[in-house]
Amino acid sequence: MGVNSGTAALVRAAREGDREAFGVLVERAWAPLVRLARTVVGELEAEDMVQDALVVAWRRLASLADPERFDAWVGRIVFRRCLRVSRRERGRVALDALPEPTAGGDPTVGLGAWQLLERLAPRQRAVLHLTVVEGMTDAEIAPLLAITPASVRAHRRRARESVERMLRGGKR
Amino acid sequence: MKPTQAEDDVATFEDELRAWGSRPPRTPASVARARVAARLDDARQPWPWLRLAAASALLVLLVVAVWRGAPPATGVGSAVSPPPLDPNVVVWVLDARTTVYFVLSPDGSATGGVS
Repeated sequence: MGVNSGTAALVRAAREGDREAFGVLVERAWAPLVRLARTVVGELEAEDMVQDALVVAWRRLASLADPERFDAWVGRIVFRRCLRVSRRERGRVALDALPEPTAGGDPTVGLGAWQLLERLAPRQRAVLHLTVVEGMTDAEIAPLLAITPASVRAHRRRARESVERMLRGGKR
Repeated sequence: MKPTQAEDDVATFEDELRAWGSRPPRTPASVARARVAARLDDARQPWPWLRLAAASALLVLLVVAVWRGAPPATGVGSAVSPPPLDPNVVVWVLDARTTVYFVLSPDGSATGGVS
């Protein structure tokens, strides 16, 4: 199984115990999964979490109904773990410690993208990330987050409204 | 149509997000692959052992439950204690109310009865 093999073929081989095939899948999925996890739980925990999720995915490969959808399936495993961590960590982030938007001038000075993102709900962060950074469509995002395309649109709209409010200087 | 200030701000934020979010992971994919591969050895093995352990535990529980839950021995041999017998007497305990005695005699004749 080489790096040029199709996802479904790699998944089938991995199910038969082919670690090399699973290794290729890991290598392909690594960067987008880390980017997603980083957006939801932050830099510190993202990579460890994705590694854990990939080990879980190896164990559960037999339960993947459609090998073509490996990416969405493993993304869902990562996202669920992110949600769990995010709930556990809720309240630990001192929002008051974040810099406030400066009066006058550029409202985003001192308030980076992550600091704005951090104030959004985890699903809103994920939807914004997958839309803006990964350029995915609603139909692609929906199965990854286990929600409907309509929910994807609703989360994105609310996320943008919240960002807009924060940029104007008000808190959510 | 000219975008509003708010739309401009959101667009600026999304540009920042794109730049921030698309940074590569600190760990290269090949290193991550090796790390995950090193953890796969144990990943599938626990399950057969767990199943075996669970099955054994279940069996032990079942045996203990049957043993502890069994009614005290009754019926043949316990409810009816046979009287001290002569070596020439054979006793058949048919049930709690019926015992058959055979008395063996040297000349081949036998006496006995049903109690």
